[in-house]
Amino acid sequence: MKGMRVIAAKELRGFLFSPTFYVMLFLITIILSYLYPIQLNIFSQLSSNYVMQQGIPPQQLNIHYGVFLRHLSYLNLLLIFIVPALTMKLLSEEKKLRTFDLLLTSPVTSKDIVIGKYLAALGAIFGIMFVAFLYPLLTAFFANIQWAPLIISFLGIFLIGAVYASMDLFCSSLTENALIAYVMSVIFNVAIWFIGMSVEVTDSQLVRQILEHVSLNTHLSSLVEGTVRSNGIVFLGSLIFFFVFLAERMVESTRWRA
Amino acid sequence: MIEIKNLTKNYGPHCAISNLNFNIPKGDVVGFLGPNGAGKSTTMKIITGFMAPSDGYAKIAGFDVFESPIEVKKRIGYLPETPPLYGEMTVTDYLIYVAKLKRVSKEKIPMLVRRAIEKTNLGEVQKRLIQHLSKGFKQRVGIAQALVSDPEVLILDEPTVGLDPKQMHEIRELIRELKGQHTIILSTHILPEVRAVCERAIIIHKGKIVAEDTIANLSSLEKGKSLLQVRVRKNSQEFATVLKRLNGVLDVEANEDNKSWKISVRNQDDVIESVAQEIINQGWGLLEMTPSQMDLEDVFLKLTYGSQVGGQI
Repeated sequence: MKGMRVIAAKELRGFLFSPTFYVMLFLITIILSYLYPIQLNIFSQLSSNYVMQQGIPPQQLNIHYGVFLRHLSYLNLLLIFIVPALTMKLLSEEKKLRTFDLLLTSPVTSKDIVIGKYLAALGAIFGIMFVAFLYPLLTAFFANIQWAPLIISFLGIFLIGAVYASMDLFCSSLTENALIAYVMSVIFNVAIWFIGMSVEVTDSQLVRQILEHVSLNTHLSSLVEGTVRSNGIVFLGSLIFFFVFLAERMVESTRWRA
Repeated sequence: MIEIKNLTKNYGPHCAISNLNFNIPKGDVVGFLGPNGAGKSTTMKIITGFMAPSDGYAKIAGFDVFESPIEVKKRIGYLPETPPLYGEMTVTDYLIYVAKLKRVSKEKIPMLVRRAIEKTNLGEVQKRLIQHLSKGFKQRVGIAQALVSDPEVLILDEPTVGLDPKQMHEIRELIRELKGQHTIILSTHILPEVRAVCERAIIIHKGKIVAEDTIANLSSLEKGKSLLQVRVRKNSQEFATVLKRLNGVLDVEANEDNKSWKISVRNQDDVIESVAQEIINQGWGLLEMTPSQMDLEDVFLKLTYGSQVGGQI
């Protein structure tokens, strides 16, 4: 437990004291700052001309749907590529630089190592969330916002970021090469969005239900509405657990595979 | 303190070490010798709990390495072949991190870090990033890292690689200083190092222990025989034949440069004296004559490579 804290603190310091993390944050803010005002503009035009545009679904007139959902989906798109960049080195670099020797000969378990690093990655993702949260926060000065659904939707995207982090940490544990870890991670992250797509072409009711449940879209959109569904939380939680567990097995296996 | 029994490690069909047995009592400094690829690093990795043996066991302070790894790892300081350093940390931060990893209690950390820095002479670079240090400094940070938790057992895999002669000397002094407080295993293929710091040596070849004894006993494995290195001004044809006739001279051999000779004699002063006398009497112009015991180097070479090169050494 103590080892976990030490490793998490060290990795988090590694993020916070390295320029790379800030460069990433900077680039994220450029993209979001470009897109967010556009969404806000579209939304304000829509709401001022509401009477003239009867065909618009009423959902679009809610700022949570019209602006924040889009904001979050851009953020999600960015996370697909940014989270692997944060996690790619966590385990692969240790192997490459032989610093793994130090960790494996220290009185810490593989669980401490993997969870410690995972928590550090969550900390970094939380930083990104914080920056992204500033946009709706500033909007609150001139719009009427429901705070609870907003915060819950950010928690939702954070959870999805956590799922990415667990998969990407697992990818990092598979290889010594950070670049391979990165590419593999992006493929994993993209893949869980694609799985849901085959809903359109399946006839079987059961398969459809399963695919809808597995699709992250379903879970994210319910969270954006401000509804916390236990099945969604359990699903995301078990994905995280599964991949962190696999990463832990990979680390443990270096002890006997050699 | 360290107990190794029937230790075996296979990498697939390749057998890295087979059936190693040895005991190291508390406070001893033991040299672990062997040519490259003999299985030194493998053995050390098993002792440190880095990897599991295929068979047999290793115990540190009574704890089995495989069954209670955490207890063992708390008691071990390990310097691997490549020092495990994080380039983006400063020396002090790195040592604090290692101390925390090794579960040193919070109050002791500043004191132990300062001590490790002092002992390895890292004072002038303690605020610098590790990636900017030279190889010698990095190696010393590696040693400091092994020391920082004040472990009962120190396992050093080739600690003086990459150091200049002065630093090498300092590190040997340091190891000698640590003798008694820590049990130390030192793997190396640099023989003077072993002679300088170790009391005992274990020589390992092709995964098997070929000799295990005190340095003194190992050095005098061929008792009663000593070697004279002789250099003369004039090179005479009958040099060898004349000297071989002397009582107590066992063998005379020319070195590659043909200007000096290797004479093995029975280990008695008067034999040496008579050799010197004879060379002077013949008027060959004695320039140099150095008696040397059959030493560790010869023993080492004989035990490891000896069988392959057929006594060439």
